[in-house]
Amino acid sequence: MTAVKNPARGTGAAFPGQVPAASLRGRARRLAGRSPLAVTVAVLVAVILTLPFVTLIISALTPASQMGADRWLPTSLRWANFTDATRYIPFWSMTRSSVFLSSLFAVLTTFSSALTGYGFARLRGPGKRILFALLIGTMMVPPIVTLIPTYLLFSDYKLVGTYWPWVLWGAAGTPYAIFLYRQYFSSFPKELSEAAVIDGAGQLRIFCQVFLPLSRPLLVTAFVLGFNSVWGDFIAPDLFLNQSNTTLAVGVASGYQNTQGYPLYNLLAGGAVLYVVPVILLFLFAQRSYVRGFATTGLK
Amino acid sequence: MTVTAMSSSGAAVPGRPPGRRRRLPGWLAFYGFISPWLIGTAALTLFPVGYAVYLSFTDWNGMTSFKPWVGLANYQQVLTSGDTMSTLSKTLLLTAVVVPVTIVGSLLLAMLLNRRMRGRGVLRTLIYLPAVVPPVASALIWKVIFDRNSGAANRLLGLFNVNPVSWLTGGNVFIVLIVVLLWALGSGIIIDLAALQTVPAEQLEAARVDGAGPYRRLRHVILPAISPILLFQTVLTVITTLQTFIPAILLSPVSSAGGLGVFTNIPPANDVYMVDVYEQFFNYSRYGYGSAMLVVFFFVIVAMTALIFRFLGRSVFYAVDPTKVHE
Repeated sequence: MTAVKNPARGTGAAFPGQVPAASLRGRARRLAGRSPLAVTVAVLVAVILTLPFVTLIISALTPASQMGADRWLPTSLRWANFTDATRYIPFWSMTRSSVFLSSLFAVLTTFSSALTGYGFARLRGPGKRILFALLIGTMMVPPIVTLIPTYLLFSDYKLVGTYWPWVLWGAAGTPYAIFLYRQYFSSFPKELSEAAVIDGAGQLRIFCQVFLPLSRPLLVTAFVLGFNSVWGDFIAPDLFLNQSNTTLAVGVASGYQNTQGYPLYNLLAGGAVLYVVPVILLFLFAQRSYVRGFATTGLK
Repeated sequence: MTVTAMSSSGAAVPGRPPGRRRRLPGWLAFYGFISPWLIGTAALTLFPVGYAVYLSFTDWNGMTSFKPWVGLANYQQVLTSGDTMSTLSKTLLLTAVVVPVTIVGSLLLAMLLNRRMRGRGVLRTLIYLPAVVPPVASALIWKVIFDRNSGAANRLLGLFNVNPVSWLTGGNVFIVLIVVLLWALGSGIIIDLAALQTVPAEQLEAARVDGAGPYRRLRHVILPAISPILLFQTVLTVITTLQTFIPAILLSPVSSAGGLGVFTNIPPANDVYMVDVYEQFFNYSRYGYGSAMLVVFFFVIVAMTALIFRFLGRSVFYAVDPTKVHE
């Protein structure tokens, strides 16, 4: 059994050298790996999906006078488009709002979701099944269904125009992340917490000292998902914030146009590049853990 | 595992003061852990939904303190309004195009990228990257590409002597909306790749020995093994696609005529359901009607989910009953 399982483990990331018994399967795999067709298709798909980024960067470096021109590359690169893009809208104060709100929400939702996921995975209480059904059910409620009524309610409580809604949303956790945590914590051996219980540790201590340190990939996954959801959101800041404290998403989406309302494409492209770069960097930086976070949730 | 957990704290047992041993009853711990979510859901999901349901029975315009009760009139109007039904069918069409391509595309790409090849890590990252780009940015990127005068799309067509097309006006903008959503084709590959690692190697090997070709291995070994994940993914993708909103409004040729973030002239071709809801609330101040639309939409989503479970759920194969893992 184990002899067969080992090579299977290796297929995730490892390479042939690590597989001691070169089974039939291993040889077939290596032959398949040399298939030029597979590589060609993969490269082709990657190129097609990357081209929009390339055209965006080219547009961001093109002088306004050459934007409509019938050529693929500008005769000269205009780096000042980027600085213009940061001046045409209150770029830096909006960036501060975005960074602050996204981090705040991500940190809160990462821990709150972990707590709830732990509760559903490892603890018992009356009504647990019904509450879990409620959790899955709320995944089906479109955010916008609650957003507009929430806006009406929050304006009664003078919460519109402040960052408090994000604190509350963050503290409430995210159903999808809770679900991932629940799957992950369920897969831990029972003995892990039993031993700690015998030692007299309370559940909160077990959670903080045993489970949290073992779930770093999933913490990263939840943080990245949470950060991106606020950084990329346009509707909530559009509704809940005003011009003086809104986020970069709103600014970039609706700020780059002249007085006649015609989009200034080179500034728009420059602003869009600056807006996307942090998200891409965060993903590249966290990629390894992020991928493992999904891989280890045991979505089986 | 047990041994390490014991030894890390086991030494402290004898000297522990008896008071530290008093613990909360189990059910209290459960409710303690889930309380942030439970309170948050009650206040930020259930209560607003209830409020929307209440408003849907009124004819409120958002201004007056008095909310005139109109009973089921809004629902009757939603279900008989040709405009609303056409936005709904447009949204369903969008979903019918985008979801199958995304689910099948993600799976095929994941299978491709599961093979050993040079530069696999880079290829995986590049193909997944569009799925990381926030919807605001992807809408703007494609808006730049599809601009009539300066966009790369028309320049590309120009190579084949095709006259410039006005992509962002009229019915064409719906095509651009589909392109925006399909760009994130690889959004499922991370989960699919993880799922593919769970396919039992013995079964694949056995199928291969029995002479099963790639198609039969996919159909009879791989798909059954990963079917619960595919079902979960399909439901989530359907739900998010039905809610398409941001790209639909941001593709409009002239956005925000009235200051930051107020959209008044969204092209009719991109009048998907959520855009219609947004306009009912914020352009026409029809809070009652908009709320009724939201409630109807919720039932559409529940119905779609039930349909998916009905038709795809039968072919899902659970190796372990997921509800009984730790009971």
